[in-house]
Amino acid sequence: MTDKIKTGCAGLDEILFGGIPENTISVIMGAPGTGKTILAEQLAFSQATADAPALYFTTMSEPLEKFIMHGQSYSFFDASQVGVSVFYEDLGLMLRDDGIEKLPEIVTDVLAVRRPRFVFIDSFKALNELLVAPQVRRTVTFDLASVLTSYNCTSFLIGEYADGMMTELPEFAIADVVLQLIKLATNVREERFLRVEKSRASSSISGLHAFSITEDGLEVYPRLLTPYVSPDYTAKTERVNTGIKGLDEMVAEGFWRGSTTLVAGPPGAGKTIMALQFIGEGVLKGEPGVYLGFQENPTQLARVMRNLGLPVEKLLNDGFELMYQSPVEVQLDKVAGELFRRVRAGKVKRVVIDALGDVQRASIDRQRFANLIYALMQWFAVENVTCMLTYEMSNLFEVHGVSDEQISNMSDNVLLLRFQPGPELKRTLRIIKTRGSDHDNREREIRITADGVIIQDFQK
Amino acid sequence: MTSPSQIMKAVAPERRALILVVERNPIVQRLERYFLEQAGYSVEFVADGVSALARARELHPQILVTEILVPKMDGLSLCHALKSDPGTRDIRVLVFSHLHAEDRARDAGADAFLIKPLDENLLIENVEKLISTAERSVSEKRQ
Repeated sequence: MTDKIKTGCAGLDEILFGGIPENTISVIMGAPGTGKTILAEQLAFSQATADAPALYFTTMSEPLEKFIMHGQSYSFFDASQVGVSVFYEDLGLMLRDDGIEKLPEIVTDVLAVRRPRFVFIDSFKALNELLVAPQVRRTVTFDLASVLTSYNCTSFLIGEYADGMMTELPEFAIADVVLQLIKLATNVREERFLRVEKSRASSSISGLHAFSITEDGLEVYPRLLTPYVSPDYTAKTERVNTGIKGLDEMVAEGFWRGSTTLVAGPPGAGKTIMALQFIGEGVLKGEPGVYLGFQENPTQLARVMRNLGLPVEKLLNDGFELMYQSPVEVQLDKVAGELFRRVRAGKVKRVVIDALGDVQRASIDRQRFANLIYALMQWFAVENVTCMLTYEMSNLFEVHGVSDEQISNMSDNVLLLRFQPGPELKRTLRIIKTRGSDHDNREREIRITADGVIIQDFQK
Repeated sequence: MTSPSQIMKAVAPERRALILVVERNPIVQRLERYFLEQAGYSVEFVADGVSALARARELHPQILVTEILVPKMDGLSLCHALKSDPGTRDIRVLVFSHLHAEDRARDAGADAFLIKPLDENLLIENVEKLISTAERSVSEKRQ
């Protein structure tokens, strides 16, 4: 099996099942500003040592000075290692004197002096543009590939390549791995994605993986996959109390452990209160839980909890985690990844996502949103984490459908909250569906009291 | 066409001090030449560390200004080599780079460090300081 080198980016290593295979040539492609150089320098500084140095050739896309200036704004860029384990060379200037046809010879000469384990040429595409004649371009690229393959090093050719160039340019033929960085505009925001376009002799997780650029460099969030063990896991046969008076009795003695319950209703119907009660009840019973919310921040939620008579400080100390994400800035895959890590670590027994609409709006398309929620639900089921999802409906009185069709289908249980018009505005709850369980299907009045939501006429 | 040095010779006093500048980028070389000659200094340029060491031994400039990121021998190694050689030890070295490496420059024996981008006033100010300390040192030795 081929040894792999880490990329300095944990999420990318996960996607590549350990990293980039050693002694290969990779192309890092993407439009300007997508993060190619950051990824390359992150890799160089995280992996290079004085004994296994990195050689970073700059060419004619940006002056060397810009690489240094920008690089130093990231935490991975250790200025003390420049000239020790990371060597920068201005290939552009060398080629001005000797001509582009001498590229393989010049690179060979510098390799012989620096003896690097990692070689970067940034931008290779800028050099390619100097090779006008196709025959010369192919010969020079082939010779360069021979040098980089013959010498014991792992190489990266970086460039502002567009999709269509993959079939035309010879560097894509010699490349063992092709990583593509993409920037997509969604309404007023931009989202970044990484895709492994090619991975010869090594597998990887397919599809688009979100990433963000932080002061630590690229942070990649591998696309959430459904669990491999899904068909074989053993479902728990125990019931989970929701902490909502009367509701558990409407569904035998509570929902199945590991099930997902969708609570849909208009604003003010009591969804968030029910969700807080659900997590609070779990924590009081020794089951830590995460409440992921997008509207109220932790301070506002703590106030709501106090008004419900919940012992906020005790709950927060005992495992009630308020995970808040601004709906404006939410990076869907990042949030899902964090939630997923908590679940996989076995630290969480209950999860609330309040509300699904905020998650949906943060997604670049409906299918990606549905896939992500489905994968999360499957992981919750396998890990026996009981989940409550809320969904806000716009119509106060008339109901024409409960949530996104796909989400309703995926959920084990669906509860519908409604307002009933009249002199006194009444709230009601109806259980639309429970998977693998009997339930009371009558519409019941609910009240929001100092003890939270209670089912008015169904209490023992 | 009149070169910057020709223009400046007419307006600036000739200070005669020789400055050897190690800079691989010809565009930056051009700017540095302009400012230093305008300030009245004689300027020589080399593009790599190995040539700089040979030229410093040959010309014995009062000041050597070096970028760290230069080919063949980096600016810090060059500085160390100059300061280790009794024949070039007294050449004042100003490390002038985009790389935040002030401590490393001092460790290599540099007399001053200046971060790029190029600021004419800061560059001249640092060069003048180095020249005055060099001259003071020479006159102290004579006494």
